[in-house]
Amino acid sequence: MSPIRMMHLLPVEAYTSQEWFEREQELIFSKVWHYAGFAEDIVEPGQYISVQAGLNNIFIVMGRDRRLRAFHNICRHRGTQLLRAVGKSQKAITCPYHDWTYDLEGNLISVPEEDREFPDLDKSCLGLKPASVDRWRGMLWVHPDPNAGSIMEWFGEIEPELGPHQVDKLVEYPQVRTTTEIKANWKIVVENYIDVYHLSHLHSGTLHMYDHAKAKFGFVGPHYVFWEPLSQWYREDIEKNVMMPLLDEIPRNKIGAWVPMLFPGLGLAENESSWSIYYVMPLAPDSTRVETRTKVKNVSSWEFAMQSWRSGSFWTRNTSAKYEGDAKTDSLATGDFMAEDVYVCEQQQKSLQSPYFEIGATAVSGESPVKEHQQIVLAFIEGNQQAK
Amino acid sequence: MTTQTFHALRVLDAYNPIATAKTVVFDVPNILKDTFRWRAGQHITLRFELNGEEVRRSYTVSSSPVSGEKLCITVKRVLGGLVSNYINNNVRAGDEIEIMSPFGGFCLDPDGKKRRTHYFFGAGSGITPLFSMLQSVLLAEPYSYAYLLYGNTSENSIIFQQTLADLVEQYPERCVVRHVLSNRSVLTSFRPWRTGRIDTDAIWSFIEEHPPYAHDAQYYVCGPGNMNTSVKSALQDIDVPVTRIHSENFGGVVEMDNSFEGIAAKTTVILDGQSHEVHVARGQTLLQAMIAVDLNPPYSCQSGICGACRTKLMAGEVHMRARMALEDTEIEQGEILSCQSVAKTDKIAVVFD
Repeated sequence: MSPIRMMHLLPVEAYTSQEWFEREQELIFSKVWHYAGFAEDIVEPGQYISVQAGLNNIFIVMGRDRRLRAFHNICRHRGTQLLRAVGKSQKAITCPYHDWTYDLEGNLISVPEEDREFPDLDKSCLGLKPASVDRWRGMLWVHPDPNAGSIMEWFGEIEPELGPHQVDKLVEYPQVRTTTEIKANWKIVVENYIDVYHLSHLHSGTLHMYDHAKAKFGFVGPHYVFWEPLSQWYREDIEKNVMMPLLDEIPRNKIGAWVPMLFPGLGLAENESSWSIYYVMPLAPDSTRVETRTKVKNVSSWEFAMQSWRSGSFWTRNTSAKYEGDAKTDSLATGDFMAEDVYVCEQQQKSLQSPYFEIGATAVSGESPVKEHQQIVLAFIEGNQQAK
Repeated sequence: MTTQTFHALRVLDAYNPIATAKTVVFDVPNILKDTFRWRAGQHITLRFELNGEEVRRSYTVSSSPVSGEKLCITVKRVLGGLVSNYINNNVRAGDEIEIMSPFGGFCLDPDGKKRRTHYFFGAGSGITPLFSMLQSVLLAEPYSYAYLLYGNTSENSIIFQQTLADLVEQYPERCVVRHVLSNRSVLTSFRPWRTGRIDTDAIWSFIEEHPPYAHDAQYYVCGPGNMNTSVKSALQDIDVPVTRIHSENFGGVVEMDNSFEGIAAKTTVILDGQSHEVHVARGQTLLQAMIAVDLNPPYSCQSGICGACRTKLMAGEVHMRARMALEDTEIEQGEILSCQSVAKTDKIAVVFD
């Protein structure tokens, strides 16, 4: 056994130690464009959301010109967080601590008892610190650096590898929104997302409608891209078999699933009938929150009901759990692929504690993305990666 | 190159996009390709001898520098306008016209990496620079968006109507064009987005219906009379930072500030690296004084609009009667328009670079 226990290319402590966690927060999650929500989360002047992007808490607010502005969520007086998660303000943002007030351009416009308490204050030097914000693929993105440049420098090259989905025209299906806390390091969660080898095994009864043998995958810069076609038996009568209305914009010869992982932690699942995000947010070395949101075709609920009815018997026949058992107590008996993934991530994290833990072998093709992702993480931590 | 050099360019084609305007396409020989390289939004100065007098006019290049199209201008007839009517009546393929190389600071330089939302507010012939800019964005800024609000008196005065419609069809996700007509005819099937003028309400509704997709939003305004001022103030009323608003005045009336007549001054002019001493008489502009002693400084419109005659004030003070062509920040840096400047101090120094 080697003195340093390794997880492929990274030491095991990269998945367990507070020190690694903090380095990643600083050197990865504070250096890149960070997912902040769906575009439809802010549609009116005054609306805002705040998001933790690595070490930075950033809020986005829409001005009366309908342009989004992003600022570091820190009062310039004594640093108090100004805004809570989501909400709507009028024309100004007031810190709850001493009522210092800023306009939507971030200018400090009012300081209580200014004449008496701050006779020499130059308010023009105490505007909120700006950050960058943009909208891409129906999502809001922030970057802590006000001069981050174009978001397309980060995503431009990957765009052609994504699905033809017209994300802005789809509508959210709020009932299927989920938030899950997984007792595993964020990299275990990401590695599971990009592990092609496990698809036919862990998900043999839940994701078999896709033809994993024909999957095409790889990296574009730090971002992982993946596409696979539908399985023949599902595709044959796709109009009837599909669970929700088919998306028209996907050409029949490309119909399948695009499942990229945008570095460092935004997975997409773009398929024949839906478009979902899988937002990976590290909470602690051994704890990660995953939020999923899904968008579907903008048609009536009647059409959804009809499609569900048409395809019902097909799915009853063709979905099966990994193991038989009580779905209430055993994730592997649920027939739910997300539950299956959460289960194996947590089981792997548990083993990292053991002095006997080691990686036995790595699948040449199916697990190559796992190693490549680790390489990218390493490059960021060692400062070899040009982040934007 | 500061001195005005005119080049005779041959007219390749001249046609009427609408009954009251003419598009003139120029043949730029290879040897002049660099001289006549233009940025979207820039204009060229044309020189004619009409009725025995030299006249100059600036017209915006309406073609896009990135489309591969030839250099061309589109000139709308102005009621009683000497040059615009001359061009519309007389210019035809094969003619040679004296033209000065492109200039002007009201520009949009497309950047393929950038992701911006460009709003264009134009009226009448003010569309010409915006048209060149809009095309350039669609062609050479693939991640950006172009939204045009375009005012005209009636349907048959809309220049580029068909080309704009084609662009919208070609780039449905990235291009929006909305027409505002002040006189709406009932005899046509054309339905404008609104009737009336490009006023505050129209601007706000337009932005509300078409909010910026990319959040680096820029605003370009070009129209006659006080349209630029009113669009600018409508935008500022909804907190658009002034640094994001770009404008150029077109035709119409320019407010003149004749509150100061000017005094006589000894002026040092540095032109093409040569120093000249010029006497500026009371009430005379810098440009007039320079021409009077046969200097050859650059100039064009002589009304403070085009910016061709800009120079840098190195010493002394001047009063500008009009200053449309200059941004406030440029004035702070000492830029002046020699065609509009009269002396405020008895010693002045300017440099053309």
